[in-house]
Amino acid sequence: MNYWNRRIASAILVLALVLVLNFLLFRLMPGDPVASIIDPRFSPEAKEQLRRMYGLDQSLPVQFLMYVKSTLSFDFGISFLTGRPVMDELRSRVPNTVFLLGTSLLLSSFLGTWLGMKAALRRGSILEKCVLWIGALSFSFPSFFVQLVLLMFFASMLPVFPLRGTLSVPPPSGGAALLFDYLRHMALPVLSLVLLGFGGWAIYVRNLMVKILGEDFILLARARGLPKKNILRRHAFRTMLPPLLTIFLLALPGIVSGAVITETVFSLHGVGRFLLEAVTGHDYPAAGAAFFLLALLTVACNLLSDLLYGVTDPRVRLERGNR
Amino acid sequence: MRDIFLRWSFWCLLLLIGTAIFGNRLFDAPPEREVAAPFSKPLWLDRTLPPTKEIRLSPESPSLLLDWHYAPPSRLSIRVEPSAGETGRFVLWRKPETEVPLRLAPLRGGFEADGRDIAFKRSLGLPPFGDAAASLFSEQGGYELSVSGEGPWDGDVVLKLEGGRWGLLGTDQRGRDIASLFIAGVQVSLIVGIFATLLATFLGTSLGLAAGYLGGWTDSVIMRIVDLLLSIPLLPVLMALAALWGKGLWQLVLILSIFSWMGTARTIRALTLTLRDASYIEGLRGLGAPSKYILRRHLLPETLPVLLATMTLGVPGAILSEAGLSFLGLSDPRVISWGRMLHEAHSFGAFTAGAWWMLLPPGFGIALLCLVFLDLGKFLEEKVDPRLRKGVRQ
Amino acid sequence: MISIRNLSITYGRMTSSGRTGETEAVRNVSFQVEKGKLFALAGESGSGKSSVLMAIPGLLPDGTRISGDILLDGTNLITLPEDELNRLRWWRIALVPQGAMNSFTPVLTVGRHVEEVLEVHLGLSKKASQQRIEELFRMAGLEPALASRYPHELSGGQKQRAAIALALACDPDYLLCDEPTTALDVITQQGIVATLKKLVETRGLGLLLVSHDLPLAASVCSRLFIMKDGRLVEEGEPREIVAHPHNPHSAALVNALLELEREEESGC
Repeated sequence: MNYWNRRIASAILVLALVLVLNFLLFRLMPGDPVASIIDPRFSPEAKEQLRRMYGLDQSLPVQFLMYVKSTLSFDFGISFLTGRPVMDELRSRVPNTVFLLGTSLLLSSFLGTWLGMKAALRRGSILEKCVLWIGALSFSFPSFFVQLVLLMFFASMLPVFPLRGTLSVPPPSGGAALLFDYLRHMALPVLSLVLLGFGGWAIYVRNLMVKILGEDFILLARARGLPKKNILRRHAFRTMLPPLLTIFLLALPGIVSGAVITETVFSLHGVGRFLLEAVTGHDYPAAGAAFFLLALLTVACNLLSDLLYGVTDPRVRLERGNR
Repeated sequence: MRDIFLRWSFWCLLLLIGTAIFGNRLFDAPPEREVAAPFSKPLWLDRTLPPTKEIRLSPESPSLLLDWHYAPPSRLSIRVEPSAGETGRFVLWRKPETEVPLRLAPLRGGFEADGRDIAFKRSLGLPPFGDAAASLFSEQGGYELSVSGEGPWDGDVVLKLEGGRWGLLGTDQRGRDIASLFIAGVQVSLIVGIFATLLATFLGTSLGLAAGYLGGWTDSVIMRIVDLLLSIPLLPVLMALAALWGKGLWQLVLILSIFSWMGTARTIRALTLTLRDASYIEGLRGLGAPSKYILRRHLLPETLPVLLATMTLGVPGAILSEAGLSFLGLSDPRVISWGRMLHEAHSFGAFTAGAWWMLLPPGFGIALLCLVFLDLGKFLEEKVDPRLRKGVRQ
Repeated sequence: MISIRNLSITYGRMTSSGRTGETEAVRNVSFQVEKGKLFALAGESGSGKSSVLMAIPGLLPDGTRISGDILLDGTNLITLPEDELNRLRWWRIALVPQGAMNSFTPVLTVGRHVEEVLEVHLGLSKKASQQRIEELFRMAGLEPALASRYPHELSGGQKQRAAIALALACDPDYLLCDEPTTALDVITQQGIVATLKKLVETRGLGLLLVSHDLPLAASVCSRLFIMKDGRLVEEGEPREIVAHPHNPHSAALVNALLELEREEESGC
């Protein structure tokens, strides 16, 4: 079977598995799941409506089909905790999480790559030792601890940054003031993620670069009298690009875990904290939606990184097409 | 292996294990007990604040001179132990400059009073606002506490003056001693870290051996599962499982081990593949030895050194995961772990109070434990490597 | 003329237990390479011949000790500062590396490699390079269409010829070939060797060919150098050496060569 067919097939399999698990979790709870909603905002009539909406009065296979249909059309139902449609809840939170993760991933990968390359070029220097040390340390300290310390020192003891939230309450009016307020709230979270993340990148890039610089074709590029800049940019870096891109894309699903913790520490209005609240509050529609989206993201990133690797590394391109 | 004694991490680990086992003896109070005011600072931090003191008057020492050179305590409480019985005597308080001592409390078994009780304050002629302690100990200087009358009595009188300082590491939002909580935390982190990793190693080794030795279908299926599990982001799944299965300690250990066996499985499988085709294994097979025998008596012992190194390196992961889940509130509230301490610091106002002493000890504890295991793991890995390179033991 | 005088090369060495040892790879070697002729440097593996070759364009690893002189028309390459040496590389002296080496950057097409050298050394634009690339490939005996292929798409022989085309890009005076025929089949070997000979004749290159294949080396060169254990043990016309080897080691080599010939004659 063609390589791509196999990859897409397994991706669909994973998503299907997630759908089944989500469905089962909700309905395997003993008793009527809707009855477990103690929230007084849900009148008996509303509960009845929910029951019908989820098709709980119908047979299991029909329910499953209804569930699949609604999930795939991104209709995630009503949150048990807030009574509002899950989609609305997500819509207000997704931009914040995307900003948080996107900015910090970009900043930490760029910073880490730059430092890693510098460290590889200056073997045995203080810079290299620092890079290796910081990287090792960043694996040992729990991320939330570093963030809590930053929060304690730069928000509580020295009130440079706000203690919590995505925006001040009430938010300031006017575009510039609003933007500044937002950035001021997001600065510490993003900073903490970059601080925690650049070390790992730097170590990985340094190791990768050291390996590539030891390869024959680099020596021969030197033999051809090419200036150092050319060799680094066109030969070394270009060869490093495929694995770097892969790591970048594969880091994305892992960073979602970082979002949960970061948003909890800084009390941000994001999808991570939403997930936590949904899970602890047994808000099945919300949790199910979040998990499905997460699975979608993971699968998409895996496929995309595969695709990009094939595009950037010509050695791999043909191999896959010919299978 | 002798040079393990030269590693700092070895001694540190012994110290931590010793603390975990014997640490409770250091503190005679159980960690959950409230010992002082919430968010008390450590004793060494701010010497202008009054420390929390507990003063006992007993039949052997019925009077005490207290040299008070701090700001007034924030709270006062007095308790007469039940065995004292009814004596008609009183607990007296006197500033040496004044002539007449004040009757603080009757020496009656079971008597308890708090500095905020209005009745108590009225009986002393103190203003109804604030705590009695502020008025009683308003100045710095000497105070005398004694029991009126002559002769012995039964039981003790306990006078507690709560200040803003307590202990080595201060107190948390419930007034619990952080140093004892810290020690309790060592126990949990070590237990969870070691047991979860042990279980994961057991799982990983069995599956890795099976995949490597049996090959074929078994191998493919196991490796597909490994790939699948590795690509799933860990924390959300852990969260879901913790919320579903309950927050107990052993559930946590189980959940953590289910998601950390993959690395070990891969390593063991690779090792098994290289060993499988060794000549002496082939010889054994030729003699008709059953697979299980070969696996158990020959391949497994070969993998043990690698396993030890892998396991040691895996413990930090388990510790960090447990800390993360506890921090998010997904662990048993009755179990004191470092992650839980950080959760409480975050959720119960340590930040508004600026109580950084609640924050730093558990965090540094986690980091220290991780660094110790990482260093030991690296050491073991270096020990194992040349043996792998040398090849199969003939 | 490349003149090598009293060249000695010592490598620093890391053993598995971490200690540094030293290996004397080349001891006091002297010889000359002139334009318009093909010189061969032969010897068994480890004799130091590749080290001599790599020393000329200054490509020995950091930490290697070199003593002696390598003169290119009077300029001592060993004492030359790196940026000046860089300008000479490829422009005056080009290298055709061992076939076993990964000499091409895997993510660039072979044509792109040539384009780059033309741009850096001769300042040619992309359009102007196109013609030259076709020329070079034909000179090396390759289809110009292969320029758009990636290195892993070419066969061993094609890669070697591409390396030759690349080496000729800036019209160098000297060509250093390190084991150009190793790992190739006999027919391809003969083709490559023929191409190299033609290049020397038509372009007046000074070619130094390093090989452990003595018969091959002896058959193509006009002057043969033989190295053993880092020393130059034999030097002269190939026929002379084969007929009258001075050194016991080269004698052994020659005997082996004659054995082979005798076998061939009788075996057929």
